Amino acid sequence: MIRTALLVFRNEFRLLLRDRMSLFMLFMAPIVIITVAGFSLGNMFGAPAGARKYLIPLVDRDHGAIARAIVHGMSHDSRLRLVSAGDVAAARAILAENDDAPIAIVIPAGTTAAFSAGREANIVVYVDPVKQVEAYALEARLTDVSRAIGMAARDRAQARLERMRAEAGTKAGNLSAQIRAAKSEIAEYQARAASARAALQKKLAAEIAAQLAQIDLQARAALSAALRAHQAEIAAKIADKQAAMATMVAYLKHLQASRGAFELWLGQLKAAAGAHAGEIPSPPAWPAPPNPRVIAELNAPITLPSISNDIAVPAPKVRIDMPSVEMPKFPLLALDLKRLAPGPAIALPGVIGWRNRSLTPGYAEVNSFDQYVPGFGITFLLIDILWGVSVGLIDERDWGTLQRLQVSGAPMSGLLSGKLTARFLIGFVQMTVLLGVGRVLFGISLGRSPAMLLLPTAAIAFSAAAFGLIIAVIAGARDAVLPLGSVGAMTMSAVGGCWWPLNFEPAWMRSAAQWIPTTWTMRAYNDLMIRGLPPAHALKPTLITFGLGLAFLCLGMLGAARSLD
Amino acid sequence: MGVSSPGPLVRVAGLRKSYGSRLVLDNLSFNVAAGEIVGLLGPNGAGKTTTLSILATLRDADAGEVAIAGHDARREPRAVRRRLGLAPQSIAIYPSLSAYLNVELFARIHGLSAAAARSAAAAALDIVGLSERAHDPASTLSGGMRRRINLACAMAHRPQILLLDEPTVGVDPQSRERILQILRELAESGIAIIYSTHYMEEVERLCDRALLIDRGRLLAEGPVAELVARAGSRHRMELALRGHAPADLCAGMTGVERVDFSADGDRLILMLADLGKVAEVLERARAAGFPAIEFNLHSPNLSDAFMTLTGRALRDYDEIQG
Repeated sequence: MIRTALLVFRNEFRLLLRDRMSLFMLFMAPIVIITVAGFSLGNMFGAPAGARKYLIPLVDRDHGAIARAIVHGMSHDSRLRLVSAGDVAAARAILAENDDAPIAIVIPAGTTAAFSAGREANIVVYVDPVKQVEAYALEARLTDVSRAIGMAARDRAQARLERMRAEAGTKAGNLSAQIRAAKSEIAEYQARAASARAALQKKLAAEIAAQLAQIDLQARAALSAALRAHQAEIAAKIADKQAAMATMVAYLKHLQASRGAFELWLGQLKAAAGAHAGEIPSPPAWPAPPNPRVIAELNAPITLPSISNDIAVPAPKVRIDMPSVEMPKFPLLALDLKRLAPGPAIALPGVIGWRNRSLTPGYAEVNSFDQYVPGFGITFLLIDILWGVSVGLIDERDWGTLQRLQVSGAPMSGLLSGKLTARFLIGFVQMTVLLGVGRVLFGISLGRSPAMLLLPTAAIAFSAAAFGLIIAVIAGARDAVLPLGSVGAMTMSAVGGCWWPLNFEPAWMRSAAQWIPTTWTMRAYNDLMIRGLPPAHALKPTLITFGLGLAFLCLGMLGAARSLD
Repeated sequence: MGVSSPGPLVRVAGLRKSYGSRLVLDNLSFNVAAGEIVGLLGPNGAGKTTTLSILATLRDADAGEVAIAGHDARREPRAVRRRLGLAPQSIAIYPSLSAYLNVELFARIHGLSAAAARSAAAAALDIVGLSERAHDPASTLSGGMRRRINLACAMAHRPQILLLDEPTVGVDPQSRERILQILRELAESGIAIIYSTHYMEEVERLCDRALLIDRGRLLAEGPVAELVARAGSRHRMELALRGHAPADLCAGMTGVERVDFSADGDRLILMLADLGKVAEVLERARAAGFPAIEFNLHSPNLSDAFMTLTGRALRDYDEIQG
């Protein structure tokens, strides 16, 4: 199979080298179309293409600084040429007569005055509707000029404000220094007052403490004398009571002895009464004698507790609270010195302008050929490979060479491998050459790593070769290849963003575009060439392109096995 | 006929093939030996090309067996292809390539090394008489020359069997003669040739044997003379005489029978037992005062054999098919 593939591969190049039309379509046709498209449609990317100059009639009814500023601002752009027009009619005539005059500018009277007074100032731009695309690009330039004029005026006002702010700052600085000196003196006075107050407080406390000690001694002596007198009087009264008590105790003892005698008498009485003993009434009950311990207690001597003359009297604590002194406030002391310092710069509201910055490290202003060289390159690659594979196979079938190759022992897999590999390589070389030509002739960007462009190039060449096999199977005949192949190539190119940026398309078309390889190849090229992203960003779209190509190849091989074998 | 006999290079047995409901080959069997040229003769649509396609392993038969040099065409297609050379009916060459590059390419595809292929291509082009134009693009050569390139591509790798499908269609007489001569030389070198055509004259001149095929069936097979003999041995003579000859001009002549006058009444049609009677007929007419102005002779041929077998003429059938 490999031998067959190699022989068929070589034969494809032999056939190609003898086919001048195919060679023309491979290299010359795409260069011509790319050149035409790049120069014609360059405005779609926001910059007037090539060296074309634009004529802009100017009607100045203001005769003020604004008109001079516009003329001055546009004079820096070599692509623009302002010509004075007497009135709007003259300006219209210039637009009508000159293909290079897409817009006319009319500066109404009073524009400069309104602008200087801070009012809205409108400049009128007349647009030739047929030249809308160029007009958009020039209007963008006008916007830049207007913004530049506004910014210049604003910068001058800003400078004046800055000077005033600087003077105010100097004055505030002096005042601030004076306040700082006053504050310092007051702080020193406050410190001295506080020190004197503390010393006075200490002296007063010492004198009060001495007087309190003297009072304490006198009070103690008076108390001791009074106490001793009262103690003697109590002791005398207690002695009287004790004597009375002893008499009482002796009586009680005698009473107790009398009870025994009575009990004995009563017994004798009852015995004497005999039978009448029962008629003797019971004597009244004797009260129970007090507890002997109580009686003993009554006999015990009474001792008065001794009272010490040294009664501890707690010394009163002396605390002297000096009344606080409210320091008088100097009005300036309440000022925040920081606020006297020059504050942040007073900024006038700026002019809102739109300045393009690339989201990526690439250029914001795109060379239209960065889009059209890969875009139309892919288109021609698709056409050439589809044609080469499809018509090549169908021609071989019609010529009988396919049959002869098979009879010669060439397996169909080897035949297809050789043909597809050859067409893949041809497409790869074609695209590489076109990128090189684009670099040399049109200065296209090749990104950070030009070698990385070979990856998506290989991927799209592979996918196109595989898709060509599908077209060969579907078409079946040479006459059907042209409509089918052309529609396939054109549709994939258009939908895939080869002819215009993908985001020009409606959402449903962009969704559909995810399923075709051109979309991913263009994404890889755009990432590398226009956005200037690192090479790794091309890997995912390249892999998807290869994946889609692989799916095409499987379908094509299945179909080829049925229709060509 | 079975495929068990070891001798023939090509053995076909019970071949059957249909395209949809249309039966194209019906129990076709034949053998071809080394060095033999076998003509496959039949009208358009008889199944000749289908037969060659099956022999060349381009199509599978629905039933039957094909063995090429002992290799089964269905199970060993590679071995079969190595031994085959095919010159298809269309001129299967690359128009933009030179004759030499065409022949060299197919020789290499057949497995020859680069050097061997170069040598084989040069030799094949020499055989077909195109050495001087070897490096001209094929598209600039005449139809006959391209036919010869077609043949050179089929034989450059020295196959054991050559399958030729209408190899002389659209070829000028000189090229045809050249091709037939080449084929005879190849057969003499031991190559078996199956020659499919509807030109019976070529089969009569070139082939050792002929297979008469109609509607996929083998009508007859054998040496050409044998097949012609089946059509009878009498020769047809059309005679234009000066004056209006009587109908009984040849009455009484042994071996001569008047059949009829031609449709326009100007020509006398006779059937002769052998060609020796031609002189007698001419002498009889001259003696009767009606000298011959013109005469045509038609000897029995394969077309007559075909008519005998099918009741239709080969060319009539072609016109119907066409």
